[in-house]
Amino acid sequence: MTHLLTLIVVLPLAGFLLNGMLGNRLGNRFVTVVGCGLPVVSFLIAIRCLADLLGGGSVPLVETAYTWTRVAGRSFDIAFYFDRLSAVMTLIVTGVGSLIHVYSTGYMKEDKSYARFFAYLNLFLFFMLSLVLGRSLLVLFVGWEGVGLASYLLIGFWFEDPVNARAGKKAFVTNRIGDAGFLLGMFLLYWAFGTLDMDKINAAFTSGAAPVVSASLAGILLFIGATGKSAQIPLHVWLPDAMAGPTPVSALIHAATMVTAGVYLVARMSGLYLQAPEASQVITVIGALTAFFAATVAVAQTDIKKVLAYSTVSQLGFMFVALGVGAYGVAIFHLYTHAFFKACLFLGAGSVIHALGGEQDIRKMGGLAKRIPITFVTFAIATAAIAGIPPLAGFFSKDEILWFAFGSSRGGSPWLWAVAAATALLTAFYMFRLLWLTFLGASRMAPETEHHVHESPWSMTSILIVLAALSAVGGFFDVPHFLISLPPLPTPREELHHFELPLLGISIVIALTGLAGAAFFFGRGGARADAVRPRLATLHRLLSGKYFVDEAYDLVIARPLYWISERVFLRLGDRVLIDGSLHGLARLAQRTAGALSRVQTGNLHLYAFLVLLGSIACLVWSFRHG
Amino acid sequence: MDRVQLLLALSMALFVLGLLGVIIRRNLLVMLMCMELMLNGVNLSLVTFAQQTGTASGAVLVFLIFVVAAAEIAIAIPIVLLLVRSRRTLEADAYADLKG
Amino acid sequence: MIETLLQNLDTLLIYVFAVSALVGAALMLVLRHPMQVAMALISTMVFLGGIYGLLGVHFIAAFQVLIYVGAVMVFMVYAIMLLDVRDRSYTDRFSKLLVPGILGAVLLVAALGYGFWHAVYAPANATVSFGLQQFSVAFLNEYWLQFELTSVLLLAAVVAALAVIKGSRRNRG
Repeated sequence: MTHLLTLIVVLPLAGFLLNGMLGNRLGNRFVTVVGCGLPVVSFLIAIRCLADLLGGGSVPLVETAYTWTRVAGRSFDIAFYFDRLSAVMTLIVTGVGSLIHVYSTGYMKEDKSYARFFAYLNLFLFFMLSLVLGRSLLVLFVGWEGVGLASYLLIGFWFEDPVNARAGKKAFVTNRIGDAGFLLGMFLLYWAFGTLDMDKINAAFTSGAAPVVSASLAGILLFIGATGKSAQIPLHVWLPDAMAGPTPVSALIHAATMVTAGVYLVARMSGLYLQAPEASQVITVIGALTAFFAATVAVAQTDIKKVLAYSTVSQLGFMFVALGVGAYGVAIFHLYTHAFFKACLFLGAGSVIHALGGEQDIRKMGGLAKRIPITFVTFAIATAAIAGIPPLAGFFSKDEILWFAFGSSRGGSPWLWAVAAATALLTAFYMFRLLWLTFLGASRMAPETEHHVHESPWSMTSILIVLAALSAVGGFFDVPHFLISLPPLPTPREELHHFELPLLGISIVIALTGLAGAAFFFGRGGARADAVRPRLATLHRLLSGKYFVDEAYDLVIARPLYWISERVFLRLGDRVLIDGSLHGLARLAQRTAGALSRVQTGNLHLYAFLVLLGSIACLVWSFRHG
Repeated sequence: MDRVQLLLALSMALFVLGLLGVIIRRNLLVMLMCMELMLNGVNLSLVTFAQQTGTASGAVLVFLIFVVAAAEIAIAIPIVLLLVRSRRTLEADAYADLKG
Repeated sequence: MIETLLQNLDTLLIYVFAVSALVGAALMLVLRHPMQVAMALISTMVFLGGIYGLLGVHFIAAFQVLIYVGAVMVFMVYAIMLLDVRDRSYTDRFSKLLVPGILGAVLLVAALGYGFWHAVYAPANATVSFGLQQFSVAFLNEYWLQFELTSVLLLAAVVAALAVIKGSRRNRG
């Protein structure tokens, strides 16, 4: 069958159109069948494509769906490209996506905009699939923008509350700032290579036959786009606010798929980044900084979803660290495991919120382990996975990252390893803190909430179980070596080989230390933590205020812009200059007319006198000219 | 100064005096009569040139000017009469209604 | 001396008539009563008629006296007699623009004089006197359109005069 790739991308679009136009009329059952069924079909087709790929010797499948335009002898096509990297991404997007769709049927059951929700989710899937399957940067960018749009629509899903609408706006605008860099990078690459097809660009860079263009410049520009989409410093500010959307949205978009688009972009353009050591260094530094600072902030957050949001930012930082040191396959591996355990965590949080009837503050939780056991067990497994406790999935991917951070020949160093290890310690610490405060210890719930506590319906808990299982065993599939289309993993320097096992041991120790520390401070309802907090009051305020980055941006960027807009452009430019010049022209015309009309006095003598003067002038003129 | 020059100088003088009279005098009827004077000056120069060159076109034009002057006076004086009936004065300054 | 006088009689008469016409015109500007002004104008016109006669175009001289003096000025005299002329324009006969007017007139004379001075004239002795027959033929051959238009113009004048009378009669009640 031809056009399978196009079918994968287009089926969710059909779902969007059907649910969007007919969903309200045809009822929830129709919406569920269409909204969940089509992504599942896409998933099955993706498996079939993977089989084709592996059967054909891993030669990438290429499909041109449509020629958009031809300009100056070059054509811009909508083409799809399927190699092993695309396969992994597509399977994650459609697989985890379908699971979250099924979960949403339970979570959003009572919502009055059920059809709209599934329409937007399918729209998101359509754009995300065109992002990961696109052959050229153009198709990728269409998907890139589209997922930004879908994210905006879904974050502000309950738009009647202006807070949600503002969060959606913030996400979109912050993304757009990154996209400016992306566009500039695209322009540069097109100008240099005459094509935007990523495989061709990679080949050109690898073979060295590229025209003279600064790979680092293009690399940094594309990375700016990735910073916006994947919430790295300095454009990370939208992700915590995006938690205003429904929890399945947070799970799908802001954990498993959309935010990983930046990681995918850098991994896909690995041919470019291998030739761009400065850009790779920038990626490493920003990734490490983001990972560390986000982890510190997560320690002090009190909203269950905000902790997970900062955790996502931190884990994305890890992925970028791996990309920066040249271990592209490892970054994708961590992306893959992260999709499982982070989706499980978010959906579990959704289950908790659903059980408590809307409560999200972990200070008002506790004692839930026995009352919502399935949620607790799955959440605990996912927490252990993210903390890096073997043999769960997160341990494998995180350990690989730490190893390459230490020993990669393309930028690894002990300092990098130290920062990453500290972040891993913090990760374990705050995740187990979350687990303890939410589920264990005595109940700190309000009495009304406590009455309503009930386990979530089967549509939600089944998904939790599936994702927890995947978090447990997913690490055994050796993704980095599966991704042969990516550059080979950087071989560590000779003398560092014998560090491998000790570092492995240290990773395990870090995870267990985090577990123990959290149990120590936050066991029994966080009594010891409350005792210690007053002594670290300033630090705590700094962390829970997330380093006041939003306030700083407001002060340094937003307020001056408002001032310029108000004072310079509105008052000066618009009112004085533009209106003033127009009014001035009108007044000039009026005054001139007034002055000229003084000739018409109605006095006949004056008119005759003017005739006299005119005739003298005519005579003089005719004497001179003729 | 020979004849032609004299007559042309006279016609110019009549014209200038007529125009000056329109500017100087206040009385409406006197202004009308000065306009007739201007026409006469022009007539004189036309006749002079016609007689010089021997073509009859100048004479024809003079005759047409006669006709037009007659028709003009036939209308102008009744207009003046009507105007004066309402305003009761003959000075031109009273009829500045087209001011502005 | 009388022989030279009689030989150049027409030139002398032309000079006399010219000066008289000029004096009449100048008087028009200065006299106070409109009737006096009308008399000065009539005298100027008659002297002009005389000049036309001396030039040989007798029919135009006839027209001058007939039409201008006999119709136009008579009508003007009637109007003057009808109206009460002793208002402000009688006591204060010069307008505000007396001085500017005179200056402008001097300038105009200078401009015209400049043109007059630098003009080229045909020899003075080309006195072709053409008669009425030549005039009529030209009038009805080449200028027949203007002939028709004048009849239209006169008709329009008659209609306008009638309208004025009718209108004034209606106003009077």
